[in-house]
Amino acid sequence: MNDALPSQTASRIFKPRPSSGWLSLVLLPIPFIALGLWFLLLGDPRMPLLVRLFNGIVCTGIGLPLLILAFWFPGMRYVLGPGELILRYGPVLTYRIPLSGIIRVRRRNLAISLWSSMRLPGLALFKVPYSDVGTVRMCATSASRHILLIETEDAVYGLTPADEEGFVAELKSRMGV
Amino acid sequence: MPGIYVMAVITLAASAGLWGGLVYFLSGRRSAYLWLILSGLPLSALVNLCVKKPLGLTVSAWAGIPPPWGPTSPVWFLTFLFLLSPVFEEPVKLLPLLFPSARRTLSGKGAALWAGMALGIGYGLGEATYLAYGIARNPHFARMAWYLFTGYFGERLIVCFLHGVMTAVAVSGIRRGLGPGVLGVLAAMGLHGLINIGAALYQFKVIPLAATQLPFIASLILLVIIFEGLRRTASREPGAADKAEEVVYYQRTVLRHPVEKA
Repeated sequence: MNDALPSQTASRIFKPRPSSGWLSLVLLPIPFIALGLWFLLLGDPRMPLLVRLFNGIVCTGIGLPLLILAFWFPGMRYVLGPGELILRYGPVLTYRIPLSGIIRVRRRNLAISLWSSMRLPGLALFKVPYSDVGTVRMCATSASRHILLIETEDAVYGLTPADEEGFVAELKSRMGV
Repeated sequence: MPGIYVMAVITLAASAGLWGGLVYFLSGRRSAYLWLILSGLPLSALVNLCVKKPLGLTVSAWAGIPPPWGPTSPVWFLTFLFLLSPVFEEPVKLLPLLFPSARRTLSGKGAALWAGMALGIGYGLGEATYLAYGIARNPHFARMAWYLFTGYFGERLIVCFLHGVMTAVAVSGIRRGLGPGVLGVLAAMGLHGLINIGAALYQFKVIPLAATQLPFIASLILLVIIFEGLRRTASREPGAADKAEEVVYYQRTVLRHPVEKA
């Protein structure tokens, strides 16, 4: 028998807080792509073709994925579905969190660490190590300020819903608490 | 104007912006630490001109080893020179803490970490300036174009951070009392020696020039780990800046050991 209310069987979508993360994803790759195109299309004629190709492909290869991530930025969302919360960023990131597995929900500032991760002004994606709370699976429009942490036995997830109160109320309602 | 001065200005601007910004923002935007950075600026010139150089010259005159010193100098003398930097630079970096106003910034683990970082970064900036002055006086380097000193830029940018971590280790010990303070300063000296070991081993002809960067990179990784450890300890302090703003919406008690139920 399913005890869930009809409203809880339907999915509800929450958008993240607005941020300049898309700008970071557009501005950062520009020098790499410009340099890559210079190597590939213009370059120094004295430079061996193989070196030109290598430099061009490496530089463009660093910049292009970031531009592609920028394209998916408006699609970042948090889906509260029946029995699970889904954090989604385009086709490259999907975290599924069973509501029954959630042991703590809290909002706090995080202490960013020096270790490398996918973390830019206004955006944090994938696994990001923090000095205070350890590794967090991020799908958020901020790397450290006012992060909603959802903890399960296995992992900690970080998100930044625009309507935090509404999101938490809906989450708790679906968790039955 | 010697090209090194142009690169020194770029290096100082980048290092001050990057590491000063790191201290300012990660410490919760406390401007007191920026004053500590300023207080560390003259200390490198002070220790080099007033302590290390006179000591080196005195011992070399006593032993009959005239400068320039290098791989042909006796090993015991090179070891002595190698030890001068860790032994004298680490305590000198702590001199601003003699002032009560500077000591008042050491109110907790986090405060000790950022005060130490600020003092070390200030020392590192001063050292970059002092080195640029020394390079400019060398006729071999004085006429080189500024863009040929990228090695100076990269090394000094990183060394500023390393100085910060070493001093943070010492200050974190000092905050806890005399015994831990002495241990902290000794640990900072040890780390300083580790960072310089590549250059020393090259002087001793143990490793080739190309391998001198390996111990430096290993030390850099070790000091980043230590820095992150100090930050983790500081963030667990009651009243830590990030913790203070925490809002817990939901918490389920998980009984890891079923026997606890009884």
